[in-house]
Amino acid sequence: MSIAGDLIRGHTDAIILARLLRSDSYGYEINKIVSTLSCGRFELKEATLYTAFKRLEEAGYITSYWGGSGAGARRRYYTITPTGREASGRLTEEWEETKDIMDKLLETRE
Amino acid sequence: MRNKLISYIDLLFAGNPDTEDIKQEILQNTLDRYDDLIAQGKTPEEAYSQTISGIGDISEIIGRTASQSTTDDRADAGASARAQKKKTISKVLVAVAVALYILCAVPVVVLHNEVGVCLLLAMVAIATALIIIAGTQRRQLYGQLYGIHLTPKQKLRHSIHSAVGTVGLVIYFIISFMTGAWYITWLVFPIVGAINGLVSACMDLKEAE
Repeated sequence: MSIAGDLIRGHTDAIILARLLRSDSYGYEINKIVSTLSCGRFELKEATLYTAFKRLEEAGYITSYWGGSGAGARRRYYTITPTGREASGRLTEEWEETKDIMDKLLETRE
Repeated sequence: MRNKLISYIDLLFAGNPDTEDIKQEILQNTLDRYDDLIAQGKTPEEAYSQTISGIGDISEIIGRTASQSTTDDRADAGASARAQKKKTISKVLVAVAVALYILCAVPVVVLHNEVGVCLLLAMVAIATALIIIAGTQRRQLYGQLYGIHLTPKQKLRHSIHSAVGTVGLVIYFIISFMTGAWYITWLVFPIVGAINGLVSACMDLKEAE
């Protein structure tokens, strides 16, 4: 994944929040959905994902709990908080605006 | 191959006892990914290498957790919490002081006597004291935050300036209310400015010598 990957990675927080908005989830499940939705063109590294989880948890946007053990170890689930919902809405709006601006800036036809 | 993956993760987090939670989490998700890839028909070798490459650079996570548990960082967190508290206190102090300045006319208007004037002066004095305290707190705060440490000379200059300013303010109110000559008493402020300028000039001169 090249430049587009870097661009998308800059929105990791927004992606995670948007996923958690639908339902509680855990690392691999989120990454799996990200991979599926992007038709395998984009995937988050575990490390990126966890750094983002920690950051979001510290910001009070998400909380975590240990779920039933999967095949081997325990699974940590994440839930979005009310502030997280607000943040998600804000980030989505910001992205819409960014997209709009970029579309206009890159428009080549008169 | 699955066991190899587990020992790989073990090795990755070796020597970082504080990271047990994150290790558990990453281990579980890594195994999930591995199982998924196998289910998709990948060979164990392919699944293993793809899973490993999917982990990425965990040094940042370990560094984060490790530093969180050091006393240094705890002290830092404590300092920043204290700084935040100081900031809030200083804001409240200023707000109360402003309220006092505004309300100080009330006793005079209501009582029409010396008691009213005394009350007014007391309120002004309290408000001024609050502003000075708030200012000191904020200066300490910025000093801590940005590592600005004033030299003793600069500190002295600051103290003199704030003292002169405060005395000027008090004199302004006293003269104004006693004489009622509000149209002219504002001259106190340019005089205060001039005095402060003189003080600075004298200090500069002495330093130059």
